[in-house]
Amino acid sequence: MGYGLREGEDIPDDPIKWAEQQIEKPAPLTWPGHIPTEKELLDHRAVFVYQDRKVIRKKYKNDRKAYKKAKDQLRYETGERYFKALETVIRQHAAVHGDAPVFERIWHFWCNHFAIAEKDMLDRWNTGVYQREIIRPNMCGNFTDLVKKVTTSWTMIHHLDNSQSVSPNSKWGKYDRKKGKTPSVNENHARELLELHTVSPAAGYTQKDVIALSYIMAGWENPHTDKREECNPVKFNANKHEPGSHKVLGQKFKQRGLSAKSKLIDCIEFLCDHPETPKFICRKLVRHFVCDEPTDAMVQPLVDAWHETKGDLPSVYKALIKVVYDNTGAEKKFLNPETWLLQCVRIGGLNWPPSPEDMEYDFKSKPRQKTREPGFIMRELGHDLIAPSQPNGWPETEAEWMSPELLIRRLAFAKKFANDNEIGLFADYFAIARRNFDAGEDVQKYLKKAKDIDFYSNPKRVGQALFSSEWMLKV
Amino acid sequence: MTVNRREFITGLGSLTLLGSPIFNARAAKLKKKNLVVVMLRGGMDGLTAIQPTDRRMEEVRPDILVTGTKKLTSDFNVHPRLESFLSCWKEGKAAVVHATSIPYTMRSHFDGQNLMESGGHTPYADKTGWLGRGIEASELGSLAVSLPMPLVLRGNLNPDNYYPTWMDMPQSAEMRLINSSYSEGSPLAHTMQRVINRPVSMMQRFDDNDAHLLARVASQELSREDGPRVAVFDIGGFDTHAAQGGEDGEHGERLADYDKVLTALKEGLGDAFDDTLVLTLTEFGRKVEQNGGYGTEHGYGTAILMAGGLLKEAQIYADWPGLKTKHLYERQDLNATIDARSVYCSAMSYCFDVDFKTMKTKAFFGDDLEDLSGRLFKA
Repeated sequence: MGYGLREGEDIPDDPIKWAEQQIEKPAPLTWPGHIPTEKELLDHRAVFVYQDRKVIRKKYKNDRKAYKKAKDQLRYETGERYFKALETVIRQHAAVHGDAPVFERIWHFWCNHFAIAEKDMLDRWNTGVYQREIIRPNMCGNFTDLVKKVTTSWTMIHHLDNSQSVSPNSKWGKYDRKKGKTPSVNENHARELLELHTVSPAAGYTQKDVIALSYIMAGWENPHTDKREECNPVKFNANKHEPGSHKVLGQKFKQRGLSAKSKLIDCIEFLCDHPETPKFICRKLVRHFVCDEPTDAMVQPLVDAWHETKGDLPSVYKALIKVVYDNTGAEKKFLNPETWLLQCVRIGGLNWPPSPEDMEYDFKSKPRQKTREPGFIMRELGHDLIAPSQPNGWPETEAEWMSPELLIRRLAFAKKFANDNEIGLFADYFAIARRNFDAGEDVQKYLKKAKDIDFYSNPKRVGQALFSSEWMLKV
Repeated sequence: MTVNRREFITGLGSLTLLGSPIFNARAAKLKKKNLVVVMLRGGMDGLTAIQPTDRRMEEVRPDILVTGTKKLTSDFNVHPRLESFLSCWKEGKAAVVHATSIPYTMRSHFDGQNLMESGGHTPYADKTGWLGRGIEASELGSLAVSLPMPLVLRGNLNPDNYYPTWMDMPQSAEMRLINSSYSEGSPLAHTMQRVINRPVSMMQRFDDNDAHLLARVASQELSREDGPRVAVFDIGGFDTHAAQGGEDGEHGERLADYDKVLTALKEGLGDAFDDTLVLTLTEFGRKVEQNGGYGTEHGYGTAILMAGGLLKEAQIYADWPGLKTKHLYERQDLNATIDARSVYCSAMSYCFDVDFKTMKTKAFFGDDLEDLSGRLFKA
């Protein structure tokens, strides 16, 4: 459930306890450099979008070259070419240098479950910090609270267009109609809240449910202002909200107290308590950590833990850890590219990710190649956690990851890692293999074969052979 | 230059190839016809690419009117940067479907691009793409080559994929050794075998950033009888809200990117260009009237540029709605009188030899689309 053992790390006496200790509360990030806050990044975005949309387009309307130059300068000043790489480094540093690899892997799982697709520059400033500030601190509490935080976060609201919703009978909706416009709700967020985040299609909801939920969600927005465009903290705008009560999956939701905000809160609680939600989430967790086609027997302990504790996530993780432990050896999981990469780095003691010095940036010119590299590399490996192409995130199964081109990328990176790093001695790789693999003998034999082939006499090739091997790809 | 390696990495341009392995029984029986889709992201302006001779253009776009256009027909001229397109036209190997669009009028890039790839009606509701479903319907089997798989190609099972990289490729001896660590008969070993069997041209490292190179690799693969049948290019930057310009403007630059891809394809394919269809795809057109920044805002109707020897003739195929305010969609956009999906569905039906009705059902949810094969493609 982690990323393998580093040099000097011993196999824990009690692996279950070792893992359980990591998931009680959020682990601290380990990055020694500056870690920007959501406010800071939203300010950068605000400067970029305001200047781009309202100032330089007009100023340089006649001069394409000057426009391009001004836009590049704006990119540098706002870190548009910088923060994405920094977020990758912050995330990977914790996995490589932290003491809670189990926690980190579960964090990556949630980042992908509540995915933010590459859309409207969200990957440049917003997605990374959303993963750090919205998901990470809330993933060791109750699932319902996590969903509430995610659903009402700036990044998810922008990602799924909820600010656009103006419900037909709201104050603004009536005004729109007077003006001859047809007010409408954007269904994206409601649909994904049902389909991807909570109950899943197994709950049998219909388009009617999606629209009812869109009404309930209407009004939750990133307010627009002249100088900052959409870059303002989330608010509930009652003037866009559909009055009255709405039925989702047979359950009626109506306002409690003074604010109609309660409708969404109640509805999220209902969706999280729906019997399909733990079934869906727990199966996905087991699929992520154990095997592509989990049996009911593997999933049930997690579902039971969920019901017993009303969705207390550390209790679910504990059940998961036990299931992973019980199936170790019997079931193997083809690792996704980032997990595989971090495992190579951790057990191989590779020099990755870059240091705070490498990541220093002056906000005046184009970031150095070295500084941007972490962003490029994840893209080349075909797995950028900050920028999946769709709201359903990256795949969870071997069939979807197993393609010739994606395999080649790993083999090429294995070669690059081995070449870039100073583990010069055959003995080191043999020691790494002994420390990390139960099938030690087979691995040793394989590495010896690598060593004995002429063109492999370079010890770095032994590293390449190890990182590319099935023992590293499938754990 | 927008389609290049560096920018692929930053997400602006990319290339995807798709085809069928020789082992496939159906593929072996059918004449190989290639389908190349060039996605133009950001909203390609059909009125800039293929400009109507209508005097109204001078009124609505006084500062960004394209000069130096070349005549196609008495009603339409082509942008001067579309040189290769024009030379294809002269050979009867280029055509245009004008005043067309996917059925989407809400003017959001993200929703629009999602729909242009999924082929559906509700943004993000469909998790597969029309081309992927079309290939699946053709039972041709496929060799997809992309990283990662673009939405438009999702929906066909077990795709192979390819995309050139700057990384050092492992040598064949290295691969054989690595393969010895993979369990016999496992998907991993099977995938490795496909890598080992690849032609040398697909196992080279590429440092060059040139679009020509990408298009040349694509055309080499497409021209092989047992090679890929489908390629997808991805060109960004058509969202010209400012400094759209005329002849040398930003929009013209992007059209030139497309034209360079077309040049490389034509040269690289050689005779196989005659068995090829190259179609553009965009999320929407742009507003008829220019804006305050000498650019244009998001609109609706646009044009599909078509090239290749499988075209019936050089023609502007359109049910022209007119440019007077009363003819415009919401009084501001060129109207779309042809569902662009009719063109794509016809092209897939024609290139993959699957009857139109089946294709429509499998790739476009049985929507009411028109079979245009007879009008647009060679009999």
